[in-house]
Amino acid sequence: MEPDFRGDADHHDGTSDATPGGYADSRRPGELVFTILMTLGSAALLWNAYGIAGFEALSSPGAIPMATAAVMLISSIVIFVKTIGLKKVEGETLTKDILPWIVLIMFALLVAFGIALKPLGFIPTAAIFLVLSMKLMARRSWPLTILIALGSLVMIWLIFRIVFTVLLPSGVVPEAEFIQMFRDLFSAGGDA
Amino acid sequence: MTALMDMLTIFTHPELLLLVGLGTFAGVYVGAIPGLSVTMAVSILISFTFSWDVLPAISLMIGIYMGGVYGGSRTAILLNIPGAPSAIATAMDGYPMAKRGEAGTAIGVTTVMSFFGGFIGIGVLALAAPLVSDFALKFQPRDYMLLAVLGILLVGSLSSGSLVKGIFSGALGIGIGAVGMDPLTFTERFTFDIPLLTQGISFIAVMIGMFGVSEALLQLHHIDLPAVRQKIDRIVPSFSTIKKHLPLSIQTSSIGVIIGALPGTGGDIAALMAYDHAKRVTKNPEREFGDGAIEGLVAPETANNAAVGGAFIPMMTLGIPGDAVTAIMIGALYIHGLNPGPMLMIDQPHMFWFIVGALITANFFMLLFGLTGIKLFTKIVEIPRAFLIPLIMLLSIVGAYAVNNSITDVYWMLGFGVFGYFMRHYGYPLGPVILGVILSRLLDDNWRRAIISEREDLGRFFGGLFSSPLSTVLFVAVVLIFVSQTPLWTKGKEMIFGRSNRSAS
Amino acid sequence: MKRFAFGAVSALVLSATGVLAADYPAKEIQGIIQWGAGGSTDTVMRSVTPHAEDVLGGTVVMQNMTGGVGAIALNYVATQSTDGYTLLMGAENPLLYKVMGLGKKDYTDFTPINLLARGTPILVASPDAPFDDYAGMMAYIKEHPGEVRFGATGPGGLPSVVTAMIETVEGELDVISVPYDGDGPALTALQGGAIDVMPAVLGAAIEGIRAGNMKPLALFDVAANEKLPEAPAVTTFNETYNDFLPWGPFFGVFVAKGTPDEVVEKLSAAYAEAATNEDFIQLMDNRGFTMMNISGAEAEDFLSTWQQNTTWLLQDAGLTKSSPEEFGIARPGE
Repeated sequence: MEPDFRGDADHHDGTSDATPGGYADSRRPGELVFTILMTLGSAALLWNAYGIAGFEALSSPGAIPMATAAVMLISSIVIFVKTIGLKKVEGETLTKDILPWIVLIMFALLVAFGIALKPLGFIPTAAIFLVLSMKLMARRSWPLTILIALGSLVMIWLIFRIVFTVLLPSGVVPEAEFIQMFRDLFSAGGDA
Repeated sequence: MTALMDMLTIFTHPELLLLVGLGTFAGVYVGAIPGLSVTMAVSILISFTFSWDVLPAISLMIGIYMGGVYGGSRTAILLNIPGAPSAIATAMDGYPMAKRGEAGTAIGVTTVMSFFGGFIGIGVLALAAPLVSDFALKFQPRDYMLLAVLGILLVGSLSSGSLVKGIFSGALGIGIGAVGMDPLTFTERFTFDIPLLTQGISFIAVMIGMFGVSEALLQLHHIDLPAVRQKIDRIVPSFSTIKKHLPLSIQTSSIGVIIGALPGTGGDIAALMAYDHAKRVTKNPEREFGDGAIEGLVAPETANNAAVGGAFIPMMTLGIPGDAVTAIMIGALYIHGLNPGPMLMIDQPHMFWFIVGALITANFFMLLFGLTGIKLFTKIVEIPRAFLIPLIMLLSIVGAYAVNNSITDVYWMLGFGVFGYFMRHYGYPLGPVILGVILSRLLDDNWRRAIISEREDLGRFFGGLFSSPLSTVLFVAVVLIFVSQTPLWTKGKEMIFGRSNRSAS
Repeated sequence: MKRFAFGAVSALVLSATGVLAADYPAKEIQGIIQWGAGGSTDTVMRSVTPHAEDVLGGTVVMQNMTGGVGAIALNYVATQSTDGYTLLMGAENPLLYKVMGLGKKDYTDFTPINLLARGTPILVASPDAPFDDYAGMMAYIKEHPGEVRFGATGPGGLPSVVTAMIETVEGELDVISVPYDGDGPALTALQGGAIDVMPAVLGAAIEGIRAGNMKPLALFDVAANEKLPEAPAVTTFNETYNDFLPWGPFFGVFVAKGTPDEVVEKLSAAYAEAATNEDFIQLMDNRGFTMMNISGAEAEDFLSTWQQNTTWLLQDAGLTKSSPEEFGIARPGE
């Protein structure tokens, strides 16, 4: 293997969409559970799709959803039958290869981001998220981490909030007043 | 002669030239960032350019449009995260190239081919707009439905692993597209009586989640691996490379123009169909598709830029938008006191030629900005992953929010990010999911329109298939492509043609 | 340090929300557009608001918030604080949400700032249709039941109201109703021959008519429109239509109920002046809209009359999910 090869010949993670992970001849940890969940989910969808309009008419809003859910259910059952007959991959464990601690922590951070975004506002949430996750992964000094995190946050905020006027949740930060203040300063300067 | 003069208006006004250039430059970056879309940029420009004259306003919008469609390929190649839906197919062969350190070559090919496709699109717009728009109007609901079925058959070529998993993913995508209140009858579908679900799931949120967040999560497995050093010595592809792919690029550009000109379908579908076409017609690629095949870059990139010219065709000839961006431009023309519609080309032909001129200029600027600054761009990949991953996640969140100013979209995006992470691990291809979401409405709405128009009578429906040549051709194409994906076909072909098959091609 | 920062921030927040209405606007105003970019509501709002900004001396940041036929945007604005910094820019259909089962809120939860303009419905047909005017169409439908394809845009949309009106006046129509997700796609389909007849708004059809890509059957108004004098008013075919017309979709700017009166006044004044801008009037005229520019009690009256007429029309045609009575909407004339 080339020394600077970035992909992973060993772990079949599916880092590119065209080469999805998984093995043709054995199953990965957790794969069977995932397959069962998909089958149950498809069945629930089919039931729900039937509830939209039943077999009322070919043109009913439920016709395509029902056909789709049926395809999902059939294909997931086929996948399930195939998967159950496969051997487990040797040397792979759920905690090491599918859900290592860093992935779990990032899951948690993302969920926390989603919850805090509205009440706390975009700027503080994003700042905390960036600083924590960068510190955790890069293990550099606090000042450097904070500098990079806040620097990039300011860039993103400027692009989205100022240039593209996307009204990100302001939360506890009086963002609009702040911008208006600058705008007033700017227009006053312009008039003079 | 006056047409030529109108087309050259832009060169006699340096400020217009500057605006097109500026727009194209901005477009490349808008396109590259997932979540910043050309549609968004152009609708903001409407307010921004409100007090301007119409020509400068249109110049800027056209620049952004052209640059933006191209820009989506950048992040697709470098990060495996398509910056825009029309770049989904580009990621499939572009990213494997970047993994080998050939990002420079990939971007070079992409740029030149986008330029080429852009030109074909503009050429058709300039020379045959009325013809193409007449053709596009001929598409009945039945034909749109067949087109959607044709699109769904792409699942086969988008899933390189297990085909069953591909089919599951595709169906899942169509299902996701159906969630929420049905826009035709306001019936709730797949909502499970949860009010949040009635507004449906934003397609962009699904795309950003599946391609952005799930990719970032996967990259967490390799935080400490050093980044690939990118070779950027050979950016402009050699003339022989271009010549070799000329037939393919003409075919895929034609696909792009037609799909772009159809109201209701755009560059995203065009690029995926072109990718599939390339896979079908390329007999011996130097590298396998999905492994960094040049053809896999040529096809989607020519098609999505050709679709730009295509989208202007119904807009300029009929006042009907070819896609979301041209819909906003029609609004902009109204605001500036013009009346876009079938009479525009008769009342104000100079506007048509001006737009053609501006598109040509934007195409040249795209080539210019595409081939310069690559060095800086490839540096993105060389940022340590520990800093890059959190940034990608943050951009994904902001991008999902920005689409419709909705926190719900952020939740969806995160949910699909996590789901996509597991799908990738267990070998489910993500391409078909996005394909399904894109095609869901096209298939569902047009199936219902078609069958309602035939008074719920399947017999009349199939009779109708053979009453119009267009439907017949599409139907035969669907059947042929479907059969060609089954093992029966390969066997039958071997039996009939034997070994002579190879020499014949 | 942290505590200090928090204190400073909360002090700012307090002072910000305590801003007097006299200082309005002290910050950016959000304008939430109910419909997508490029639609008529979007075009109208983006072309009137810059003029209002000039009068107001503030900035209005406009955002499109689509989904739930506009209900998402309406509910969003209704839940924001009533300080006048969030405007709803919408069209007529929220007045039908309650009876259509699409939402629990409508414009009765809002104060109208300005009702800018209204559109006029027109019945158009594809050029290949075997009839040339409204009377011809009715005769053809009687002779060929279940053959003519009408375009529709879902329950509560303009075509459904116009069709309900025709059915109330002329009796049940035996036609095929083909659903589209907006009048744009439906008019495109009309030009391609996928549908035969489409009730649309004048502005959307006018250019197609001028080019001969569609033909006007009847204008749904009490008199012909000067933008399109060749289209006869439907009342010339059947006078019963006078009971229901003029009727049409409209565009308006709203704030949630409870917004301080001074703020409402300032906004109303700004939009009233903006609506008199020549460029804007020109634009509306080109698109076949009739200027209204009304606010205050006049606008409230207009809204409630519109709601009464339309909901009961739909109710009598059997198109509603629940009766207007349940929401205290009285039958017109009662």
